[in-house]
Amino acid sequence: MSLPPFRNEPTLELRRSRDREALLGGLRELEPRLPLRVPVLIGGDAGGAEGIESTDPGNPARVVAVAGAAGERDVEQAVRRAAEAARRWGALPAAERAEILIRAAALLRERRLMLAALQVRECAKPWGEADADVCEAIDFLEYYAREAVALERGPELLQVPGERNAMRHVARGVVAVISPWNFPLAIPCGMTAAGLATGNAVVLKPAEQSPGCAGELVRALHEAGVPPDALALLPGLGDAGAALVRHTGVHAIAFTGSGAVGLEIIRAAAETPPGQRHVKRVVAEMGGKNCVIVDSDADLDEAVPAIVRSAFVYAGQKCSACARVLAHEALVDRLLERIEGAVATLRVGQADTFGTDVPPVIEEEAHDRVRRYAELAASEGRVAAGGGDVPDEGWFHAPTLATDLPPDSAVLRDEIFGPLVTVERVPSIDAACDTVEASPFALTGGLFSRSPDTVREVTARLPVGNLYVNRHITGAMVGRQPFGGNRLSGVGAKAGGPDYLLQFTEPRVVTENTMRHGLVVE
Amino acid sequence: MASDLQPAILEVGRALDAAYPSRTRNPLKAIDERAMALAATDQELKAALFRFVDVTPACRSLDDLARHLTGFLDELPERPPSLDMAVRMARSRTGRAALGAAAAAGVRHMAHRFIAGESPRAARGELRGLWSRGVAASVDLLGEATVSAAEADRYAARCAEALDELAEAAAASDLPAADANLSVKVSALTPLMRPDAPDLGREDAAGRLRPLLRRARELGAHLHIDMESLDSLETTLDLVLDLLGEEEFAGGPSAGLVLQAYLRDSPAELDRILAWARSCPRTPPLVVRLVKGAYWDHEVVEARQHGWSPPVFESKADCDRNFEALTRRLLDAAPLVRVAIASHNLRSVAHAIAYADGRELELQVLRGLGDELGQALATRGHRVRVYCPVGDLVAGMAYLVRRLLENTANDSFLGAQARGAPVEELLAAP
Repeated sequence: MSLPPFRNEPTLELRRSRDREALLGGLRELEPRLPLRVPVLIGGDAGGAEGIESTDPGNPARVVAVAGAAGERDVEQAVRRAAEAARRWGALPAAERAEILIRAAALLRERRLMLAALQVRECAKPWGEADADVCEAIDFLEYYAREAVALERGPELLQVPGERNAMRHVARGVVAVISPWNFPLAIPCGMTAAGLATGNAVVLKPAEQSPGCAGELVRALHEAGVPPDALALLPGLGDAGAALVRHTGVHAIAFTGSGAVGLEIIRAAAETPPGQRHVKRVVAEMGGKNCVIVDSDADLDEAVPAIVRSAFVYAGQKCSACARVLAHEALVDRLLERIEGAVATLRVGQADTFGTDVPPVIEEEAHDRVRRYAELAASEGRVAAGGGDVPDEGWFHAPTLATDLPPDSAVLRDEIFGPLVTVERVPSIDAACDTVEASPFALTGGLFSRSPDTVREVTARLPVGNLYVNRHITGAMVGRQPFGGNRLSGVGAKAGGPDYLLQFTEPRVVTENTMRHGLVVE
Repeated sequence: MASDLQPAILEVGRALDAAYPSRTRNPLKAIDERAMALAATDQELKAALFRFVDVTPACRSLDDLARHLTGFLDELPERPPSLDMAVRMARSRTGRAALGAAAAAGVRHMAHRFIAGESPRAARGELRGLWSRGVAASVDLLGEATVSAAEADRYAARCAEALDELAEAAAASDLPAADANLSVKVSALTPLMRPDAPDLGREDAAGRLRPLLRRARELGAHLHIDMESLDSLETTLDLVLDLLGEEEFAGGPSAGLVLQAYLRDSPAELDRILAWARSCPRTPPLVVRLVKGAYWDHEVVEARQHGWSPPVFESKADCDRNFEALTRRLLDAAPLVRVAIASHNLRSVAHAIAYADGRELELQVLRGLGDELGQALATRGHRVRVYCPVGDLVAGMAYLVRRLLENTANDSFLGAQARGAPVEELLAAP
């Protein structure tokens, strides 16, 4: 089987009414199916589908999915059956596994309208973002399928007469995937696809806020031909994830989520209790406190909309979102004034309404957190924009712009993960780089400058995993912007990049002596 | 149809060609000729020069300006000797000051070629100059992008003032071509331009456009609504047809919109415009300005990045053929609509004149690019209007860069003309 080269799945063209109508049709198709039932799924045996509920953040009375709550016994059973399945699944040629993943991609493509609508309902992801999320999920399947086929061929090694050297990348065994709600399809899909493509079995524990999306993902993968035992779904709460991480039968853990949980996972994974004969590999993608630097020569016509988009799209609930703007003193006042005016035009509303810029945040706890930081910003500094009217029902928080904060303010330090952005004055671009370097996070960053020298200098200095120059800082594309952070923002390789799959394999080298009694037998 | 027309097109085209004011017939002449010629042949140098022109207004000093210039030139794999000297000059502070001053003067000179003045008042002399040569004008107010309600309000206020200024200037002038004609951009009238929610921008911009239409009617001025990138097309078209369809505007002002021939969907858009014109008769009739479209690179790049099929014709010949087909449909639809053909392509213009065969037709050109064609058309007795951007240098940069891009495009008509292609070749059917 020879696959055509990878290309990104095109998003819908929402500037055309026919594509907008199509999405609304997807919502009409989905609504009668709600609430979805998402059972604990182990080896094709569906367990209970009662235990947790996901609700519409814009209308918390609406239940979107009713899911099982996996317990310790489910974890135990899922890992045991996955370990058995992994041997058979891992023994398949990579091309056969790739074929199955590509079939799953085709199923997601067929269902893309419904899947986007599900994200709108379950996670309040606005249409354009929801559609892009489905496309990214498809991209991960298509991309890792191809990468795994290439990886199986192994690298070229130096060969000399009388010996034959070969290097292979072999599946680790059982991969635990613990995924977040903010990319409810794409991120679980990416981590799961990476594990499966390389021949591992996967046990997926999705975020409790988005079991419906994860259920649809697993359904598509099973329908495409992933053996039931090789992919288990464990909806549930944090304790299920914790049990999964501790399980001695898990070989690798792929996690995307908060820094606190990520570090806890790294600690737990370092344990090697009796009976465990391996060190667990952890791929952890954690938080950020991402800065955009604006130089004195920046084009504000481009910087202002890009900053506003980076900070507020999906209510700032992307790990790549812009949290801090560090602006050169020569233009900070003008920049602040223009951002302030732009923030005031943002549309706060339901995710299912085209044109909504800022949807509700995911849940009450998130809402309280954002509100606390907004209050802190008001008491320690100045809130330049915010506090506008928002709908009563749902977890809406007005987009907020804060400035004049003391350098040690928690508002400047903590990841808030909501629609709040700060602006700081810096005397020079060097000083801005110092600020970024002082942060424990290093996920994304942005720079607006039209000087090639400045671009070169800042690029050399910033430790961030993904730096965007003269554009918005969210929306990494598979194969184009391999994504992931450094420092306390992440460990492991870049998702959607050429080295990601190595995390899910172990390398083995075989050297064969081909000389017998002075005769080389090749 | 086009083939029957060919002899007439040749005749008109040759006559216009002979009427060009300058024997060199080089529309690029007044620009820094060598720089533009280099830019047209060397893509990397072109990028460096455009980036420099683009950043000029944001530079804080001559030193800063020189550093940017050399920064761009440093990235070139090879530099022509004259530019190499510039880089060497920039090694000293005094050298940088001199280089910065020269470069700033160069950009100002270039900008003035395309931009008629800092304000409508400042552009008055330029307008009188045009009027005295029998050429009309449409003034376009350059400005920063609109990102807030306050900026949209300011733009609307500038438009209202400009209408007053233009009406006053036209009234004070006895010249035959004098009239008040303002082109406005919908994206500047609202911060709510959302490609996925065209109603938001339409409703918001309507609140600012309606008073402008009333003002134009009182003053007897013409208001023309420009077309921008495809992202704003639905908003713009809905807005114009909705507002002009309102009872209150059935008797004026004189108003118009733009049809972009590079769009594959442009024939369907014309269907919609003509259906509207039949259902909403107004006096005077809507002016439809047919253009090729100024956002070709933007549309193609955006489509490529998203994996969409480009919304524009990718071959120049397809675009030119569509331009001619739309020209004929528009002329046939008159007097339901009034027709303005805006092109610097001698073939497209000659085709329109030949097909019109004496029917009412206005021809439009851009200041800085179509001046000589405009003169030739006026000399031959055709009605001509020059599109005159007005505004400061900062605000004008985006416009200037777009015009320069167009001017140095490999397949640009003006480029071929400047290279001295024979008139028969320039007039061949696309």
